[in-house]
Order: sequence, then structure tokens, then C-alpha cells
Amino acid sequence: MQRDVGSLPLAPALRARLFTAGFQTVQELLETGPCGLSREIGISKEEALELLQVVRQECHGDVARTAAGSGASRKCTALELLEEEQAQGFIITFCSALDNILGGGVQLTKITEVCGAPGVGKTQLCMQLAVDVQIPECFGGVAGEAVFIDTEGSFIVDRVADIAAACVQHCHLIAEAHQEEDHLKALETFSVESILSHIYYFRCRDYIELLAQVYLLPDFLSEHSKVRLVVVDGIAFPFRHDFEDLSLRTRLLNGLAQQLIIIANDHKSAVVLTNQMTTRIGQSQSTLVPALGESWGHAATVRLIFHWDNSQRLATLYKSPSQKESTIPYHITVSISFGLEIASCKGIFRHIDKSVNDVFIVLPFSCLMNVTGNTGMSPGLLIFCTFSL
Amino acid sequence: MDWDQFDLNPKVIAALKKADIKSIKEILNLSGADLQRLMKLSSADIQCLLKTVSHMLRRNSMLTALQLYQDKDHLTSQNQKLSLGCSVLDNLLKGGIPLVGITEVAGESSAGKTQISLQLCLCVQYPYKYGGLESGAVYICTEDVFPSKRLQQVIDQQHKLRADVPAEVIQKIKFGNSIFVEHAADLDTFHNCITKRISLLLARGMVRLVVVDSIAALFRCEFGASDSVTKARYLQTFGAQLHSLSTRFRTPIVCINQVTDTVSDSEAAQCCCSVAGNRVSPALGITWANQLLMRLMVSRTPQPERPPGVMSHHTGSVRTLRVVFAPHLPPSFCYYTVKLEGVKGIK
Repeated sequence: MQRDVGSLPLAPALRARLFTAGFQTVQELLETGPCGLSREIGISKEEALELLQVVRQECHGDVARTAAGSGASRKCTALELLEEEQAQGFIITFCSALDNILGGGVQLTKITEVCGAPGVGKTQLCMQLAVDVQIPECFGGVAGEAVFIDTEGSFIVDRVADIAAACVQHCHLIAEAHQEEDHLKALETFSVESILSHIYYFRCRDYIELLAQVYLLPDFLSEHSKVRLVVVDGIAFPFRHDFEDLSLRTRLLNGLAQQLIIIANDHKSAVVLTNQMTTRIGQSQSTLVPALGESWGHAATVRLIFHWDNSQRLATLYKSPSQKESTIPYHITVSISFGLEIASCKGIFRHIDKSVNDVFIVLPFSCLMNVTGNTGMSPGLLIFCTFSL
Repeated sequence: MDWDQFDLNPKVIAALKKADIKSIKEILNLSGADLQRLMKLSSADIQCLLKTVSHMLRRNSMLTALQLYQDKDHLTSQNQKLSLGCSVLDNLLKGGIPLVGITEVAGESSAGKTQISLQLCLCVQYPYKYGGLESGAVYICTEDVFPSKRLQQVIDQQHKLRADVPAEVIQKIKFGNSIFVEHAADLDTFHNCITKRISLLLARGMVRLVVVDSIAALFRCEFGASDSVTKARYLQTFGAQLHSLSTRFRTPIVCINQVTDTVSDSEAAQCCCSVAGNRVSPALGITWANQLLMRLMVSRTPQPERPPGVMSHHTGSVRTLRVVFAPHLPPSFCYYTVKLEGVKGIK
């Protein structure tokens, strides 16, 4: 009851009037009553009634909150935070080297930004993550659902279906190799249709639609509480044209970043954004840097930059609070055709299905494998494989 | 904007009218604190306003990926693509050109880019079941004059190219009537063309393909080395306008681009294309590449891995069509030739 008037969620003008009239605590407001208030501050009776209603709601809310012991201003120790973080799941990317440099995979409750030139694999990674987040817990996944916000129109559902089919096949092989009850049970509900039905797709055609969608996201995530991944592909596209006033753009981007951080924290989901690259003209040479300016660089917790080195794709961990900066090569695979030579395989299971002329290779998630063949891929750095004839 | 139709508290509606806020865009452009100050409302009211307004803009916009996958309606399905008129080329592209987004065809001169785009202008006029979109095409020329003689040649030979389509269907289509040719030699004319004239044709449903031949020619002469910022801005604006036309009318946009020699190895490696020993890459740089959905490169140079049997059947040079990047295709290529009846792939 001793709550300060300044902390109430009122219109600024109304607050200013209360201060000038000398009201300091909530108790004083309640004692004065609506008629007295309207006289002293100079507002109408209806407004005074509304004001007191808001006050009473807030006090009621305060009491409930202190009783429950939780809320926005909860105190906790760093040890509790550490334990919480360690228990946090990761969304694996199926590329062991990439998972290693990220410290286990894409982290929940953090924003990860993937930057790269066109064609390097950002959308592929996002589609992959939207499938990987759904892997059942017994296989090492987080068993969540995904929200995919597409601003460029590059979400091609046939490719996602291929990735999902390969993921399901992969899990089937692991289950066959291990023969455990919970694996087989989880596989009953893990199919291409179920994976596709848990990816929620939103298409935003300009930045206004994107802003509106992000305002609606918290309610959506409260209704769909199993969502563990929000992808925005790409965040730069709607903001890079049509902005005469760059300060407006910076302000909108900062607001967007804040909302996404709150969403990531409150709903324990990972937020993945893709960004474009732009040329920065230096004194002697020009370099490629992530778009949207320097201030946007602070928005993401983890930043990955995908780039080319001759014909090899590389991923560099550019910014991370807990992992060191490193670069690894990666590949995007479509299919491994028959006639593959497996040079040396450590600790993997090989299953040859003679009836369909395929060689299936089961990889435990953290193992390196030497694969050569007519696709010319190098060691264990497959982002994804579909196995076909 | 008629605020009364919104499901809002009358006090909020009154505040909106008093603050002279005319559109949803203005509301979303302001931050929460600015709105509070402007409309003199509490933060709870502002949150409610933002949510209502966002809901109004975005209701019924969610789809699951499964719904997208199972959508077979030719008006909305992602499976619907614009065929190239040849089964080999269509197989390379897994159906053809996607309907929403900008596809680029880049290559050195006389590699066959104009031939491919002329072929597309005819393919779009076929019925849906033959891979077309039952509508016309707009061809924007920015450098050369439109090749009308060649178009006439190809029209006369359509029955030979499209052996899969019954002759009476081909005879019914008046190919020449539905191809609209625009000339735009400089940036302002081009801007005018895409904002006013083309949107009119698209809105009336008379065309469902836009070909720009070529986008690089607009930028070659007008910009020096120091004007890179202005050039980038124009590229982004054009890209965004074309993209928004494509999304609004579900129309493929095909832009023809030229190539330049590359200086550094990394860009060249991505395109893997060599002309007379020099590495080439598409012009206009990364600013333009960011606007594209799919990039194809054509070249006349024989590729080293070509199987020996290919050359013997075909007179005239064998050319290569390569997918550089696309969200649904792996980097791959196929061979084709340009014949009297058009562009045909070689298996």
C-alpha cells in the first residue's frame, strides 16, 4: 500500500498532474476517493474512476506476486543461473564440427545470427534447424516446434520435406542399431508429415508486416508452448531499401532486437536470424561485412559468418560469449550416390540393404568419418545427407 | 484510415483521431514510449492498441509447412512452376522457374540468354497442364532492339519444340498477341516502366512473366567508381520493386545479366565459369545478388567433364546451363543447344 505513485502504469500527463497535486503513495490516492481526486487534479469523474481501478488492479497484482514469489524482479544466484544454463538444451545442426564450435549446437534462449553472401547456405541451415528442433529427446534433440518467418520467399517446402525425410531415416537407423524401447516409441510419431505440421510458417512482405508479426509472437508462443525455435529469414531484406531516414531504421531494428530477446528468454526458445553481407570500402581494399550497420552487431548473442574460400564453404564463429573464435569447413549435401568408398570409419554402423541397392551409414552425432566418392566431400562435415539410389 | 472499424476502446480511438495518426504504418513506426506521449495513454492501452493493429494486419496469415506441402491448387501451390519448354532443362530446375521471386540468367554475350527468355515468353502462354501460366509476357529491352524476326521464327516452329502438346492447342494460342515489348534505356524510364506500366498489365492479369533484358546495361554507363552508393541504392530499390510485384501477382521475374572478369579467386570459384581462360562472374556485385532467389549461368565454353558421346550428335556449339544458387536446387549443370525451334537440352 505504500507503493509510489510514479511506478503505476499511467499516462505521463496524468502522472505529472498527480505529482504536482502532491500525491506520493497509492494509499493517499485510495483514501481520497474519486470525487476528491477529480477535484484536486482537474480530471473528469470517469477518468478518476478509471485511475482508481488501475490502482486497485496493480495492488492486487502486487499482492499476488509477492505471494507466489516469482515475477520480473526475482533474485537468483549465479550458481542457479549456471545450473539452468547447463541443463539447457541445444538444437543440433547435424554437422559435428559446427556443433563443436558453437559449444553443442544452437543455444536456446539466445539470439544467433547467421550472415553470409547469397548462395552460401543460410536458408539451408535455417530449414535444417526447423527440422532438427523436432528430434525426440531420446535421440538427443529438444522435441520442440518451430516458427519460420520468411521475408524473402526462399522457403521451398519440397526441400524441407527432403531434409525431414532424411532426418527420419537417420533416426530409424539409430533406433535399429540400438534397439531400445523409447526410441521405437518416439519414432511412431516422428514422420515427415508430423515434422512439417509443426513448422509454423509466416510470410512477411515488408518491414511493417514483420514488425506486426513480432508484436503478435508472444501470444502465439503462449498458445503453442512447445515452440523452441523462431527463425527470421532474413532480417536484412525488408530493412535495406525504402529507408530515407536511417535513424528510424536503427530505432526499429533495436526495438525488434529487444522484443526478440524477451521472446527468447520468456519462452526458452532459440532465435535464429539471417543477415546479408555488404561491401565496406576501406582505405586500400574493400571487405564484406554483415549488413544493417554497426549497431545491429550488438543485437545477436552469437554471430556466425558463412563465406567461401575458393570452392570450399567455411563457417566462422565471429562472436560468442562462451566459445572462442574459430573457422570450420562445411558442405551441403543432397544425396550420396551408390558407389561410395568409405575410407575409414571410426565407431559407425554400416547397414547394407541389398534389396534397395543402398548403403546406409549411421553416424552417432559426434563422430568423424572419412567419406570420399564422386561427390568429393571431405571428412565428417556433412550438414545433411539424404540417402538415395 | 477508419479507426472506428477496429476493435478498440473508444478512448483509444478518440486519442488516435486527436493525434492525427492516419495509418497502421505510422503506429508501428513509433516506439511504445513515443505513442504514449503522443496519445496520452497508459502503456497497457498502448500494448493493447499495438496488438489489435498487428492482429488486423496479420490475421489468418499462418500456415504450417504441411499445408504448404499438400497444397495442390495451381493458384497457390509452391509446386507450380514455369516450364522452360524442354524436359531436360526442366529436370535440372526441378520443374522450372519458381513463380515468386527474381531469377537471374547471367552469361557472356551470345551464350543464349535472349534465346532462353524468348522461349520463356512463349512457354508462359501454354495451359497449366503443359507447364505454362495461360497468360502473356512483358519483355523489357534496355540495350538492343527486340529480336522480332527471331521471335517469329520460333513461333512458327513451336509444334516442333513442344512435341508433347497436341497441335490444336498450339494453333489456338496467338503467341505474338500476348508479348508486350517495352524499351527502357535509362534508369528513370525503367523506374516508370516497372512502377506504372507493368503493374497495370499485371493487375489486369494480361501477363504473368516479366523479362528484363538486361539489368546490367542500365548501370554500365551511368555510374563511375565513386557513385557506388547511389548505384547500390538504385539496385536495391529496383530489386525491392520487382520483388514486391512478383509476390503480389505471383509472377516470375527473369533478369538477364552480363558478366565481368573477376579479380579475386573467391567470387570466381563460386560461379566456376571460365571464358577463354579468364574467370567471370555476374555483374552488379553482391548488392544485386542479395535480391535474387535463383541464379543461373550460361556459357559457351566446353566443360572439361563433358562425356565424349555428346558432341557427335550436335552441330553447332554445345552450351552449358549451370545453377549457381537456388534454395531448392544443388549446384548442377546441363548442356543445351540453340536450334531453329528454340533451346533444347541435351541428355
